[in-house]
Amino acid sequence: MLADIAANLSLGLSIAASPDGFLFLVIGAFLGMIVGLFPGFGPAAGIAVLIPMTFGLEPTIAIIMLAGIYYGSMYGGTITSILINTPGESATVASTIDGYPLAQKGRAGPALVMQAIASFFGGTIGVILITALAPSLANFAASFGPSEYFLIIAVGLLMLTTMMGDNKFKGFISALIGFAVGTIGVDVMSGQQRYTFGSPELIGGVYFVAVAIGLFGIGELLHCIFNGQHRQPAKRLRISFRDKEFWPSRQDYYESRFTFWRGSAIGFIAGVLPGSGATLGSIIGYSVEKKVAKDPEKFGKGEMRGLVAPEAANNAASAGAMVPLLSLGIPGSGATAVLLGAFLMWGLQPGPLLIVNDPEFVWGLIASMYLGNMILIAMSIFAIPLFVKFLDIPYVNVVPVIVLLCVIGAFAINASIIETWILVLSGLVGFAMKKYGYSPAATVLALVLGSMAEETFLQTYIISQGTMNLFWERPVSLVLSIVLLAVVITPIALAVMSRLKGNAAKVNGEAS
Amino acid sequence: MKKWFAAGLLALAIGYTVYGLSTLTLLTSSGRPAAGFFPLLIGILLITSCTVNLWGDLREWMMEKRTGIAPVHQAEPETDAKADALGVDAHGIDGGPEFGRDVFIVFLYICGFVAIMNVVGALLAMFIFMLVYLFTFNRAHTIGNLIYSLALPAFLYGLFKILLNASLPVGPLGF
Repeated sequence: MLADIAANLSLGLSIAASPDGFLFLVIGAFLGMIVGLFPGFGPAAGIAVLIPMTFGLEPTIAIIMLAGIYYGSMYGGTITSILINTPGESATVASTIDGYPLAQKGRAGPALVMQAIASFFGGTIGVILITALAPSLANFAASFGPSEYFLIIAVGLLMLTTMMGDNKFKGFISALIGFAVGTIGVDVMSGQQRYTFGSPELIGGVYFVAVAIGLFGIGELLHCIFNGQHRQPAKRLRISFRDKEFWPSRQDYYESRFTFWRGSAIGFIAGVLPGSGATLGSIIGYSVEKKVAKDPEKFGKGEMRGLVAPEAANNAASAGAMVPLLSLGIPGSGATAVLLGAFLMWGLQPGPLLIVNDPEFVWGLIASMYLGNMILIAMSIFAIPLFVKFLDIPYVNVVPVIVLLCVIGAFAINASIIETWILVLSGLVGFAMKKYGYSPAATVLALVLGSMAEETFLQTYIISQGTMNLFWERPVSLVLSIVLLAVVITPIALAVMSRLKGNAAKVNGEAS
Repeated sequence: MKKWFAAGLLALAIGYTVYGLSTLTLLTSSGRPAAGFFPLLIGILLITSCTVNLWGDLREWMMEKRTGIAPVHQAEPETDAKADALGVDAHGIDGGPEFGRDVFIVFLYICGFVAIMNVVGALLAMFIFMLVYLFTFNRAHTIGNLIYSLALPAFLYGLFKILLNASLPVGPLGF
């Protein structure tokens, strides 16, 4: 098995380390760092907006670049968390808790270096685990039938919506909207046109890239404008790695020696689970670290372990999220959904057979992640002054860059003005969704997986002759059905219990 | 506006289901699911969930109107962590100033940009959009705005048209 992995990795390295592969990996990592720097503009938006820039590239090289943007944004997002108390990316929110106090104590340099090392550690552990787990999971998944696939999609979407606090219901509606939009076009089973209103442009369906760029790119941009980001002055910061105080102390490394491992393990598990992702991984990583610490009172006041834990976790989670994507063809987050859309755009067939049918692609991508993490740690330490300079650009000047990239990119895909208008409409809907508590990520996820969900659901229906007993007759389906029920019932049961407790407390209060 | 958005979604859900029912076949002659089966399931789920959602938003609005206090929601984990980091209450995080007018203006400019793109060509449309946008929101820097309005569209046009060989709308001037 080890010999197989070594052979596969060397095949992957021959692609990722080729002049083209390496060049676009560096470009992707660099762009990812910049995407991470700007608050409110996450990896999903970054990948969606920059997809059109990969035209003309070979599919593997294009995906290597897009994946570089994805995990590069995790590194970049922390810079603003530490320096200006504003997370550049939702997965780096937890890093603000101790990162900013460290900067206030005059330890911005050590904090930036430790976050880079933690990110590298988490990212690399994550990629090692992908190397070990993805092929085995793909082998295991090769026996999956339509019922298992449908249940995995349903569990993933439900878990994504349970991340939404009181807005779970709105998350569920967001996913249904994605499914509804996904039904537009020709039905693959019968060939009948659905919701095309006679327009030839809609026969092929609503192209996901325009919707994703609109929801994530224009939608997030309008939301940032709504919150007044374009009215804020630029932050002028200076930092140099030539300063003596720039480097962490021995004590920093010693105290964090177990934190790197704990954060990485927690993050990877959170990443593999559909729907949870890097944001939850980093928050759990931080909470666990605080709980196991002998001195939890130090957390929140500039404790290095409080920065290392979420950083190792969010990078391991971003790698972990690639496991279901590569082995099952099922993304667990908005960003990986956009990546899956890019796979489809390049003619790749995601699923358990991807590793068998396109080993150059899968192993090229995995090998590029090893290299990407090495490039990113070097960039995160030695190019910090350059990235800090990007913060000098006021957001008011960033707005037109995003708008032009979105509009020109959406048009350039199929030279279609209808798709460009779909982008504009999706942008407005994305803004309203963000403002009123809906989930654009759930919509994109459901849109990308819509046809697969429909196909697997109907196949299950037909095979079981309308009884749907395949959902509990096969062992894996049964386990997934139980998980699905638990995801649905647990929040309802908890809400009922807390209401009953509240009523009991009220009655007791009145009685006394 | 929240309740209007919820009402709009419900109206769309009803339209989606009714149109699907009237134009699509639900079952084949052999009793198997046809093209309208899955959309009908989605439509029913959408109508049910959008109705409950609208009811919740209306109740919230009525309560707010009666008491004058906005209801408190359970914050998302992300908002919780952000609040923890900033040392504020999670529910006070989105309470800053709002710039709805600016959103409207930028959206209008984007619509204008897309509308003129096919008429004047991509390069000129980008230039006009940038000029109008920058002279609305960044008036103080006239020279900088002019240079930026020329440089960014030229760079993007070169990148997409020349380097990536993408198809972009061509205006009467040939670009």
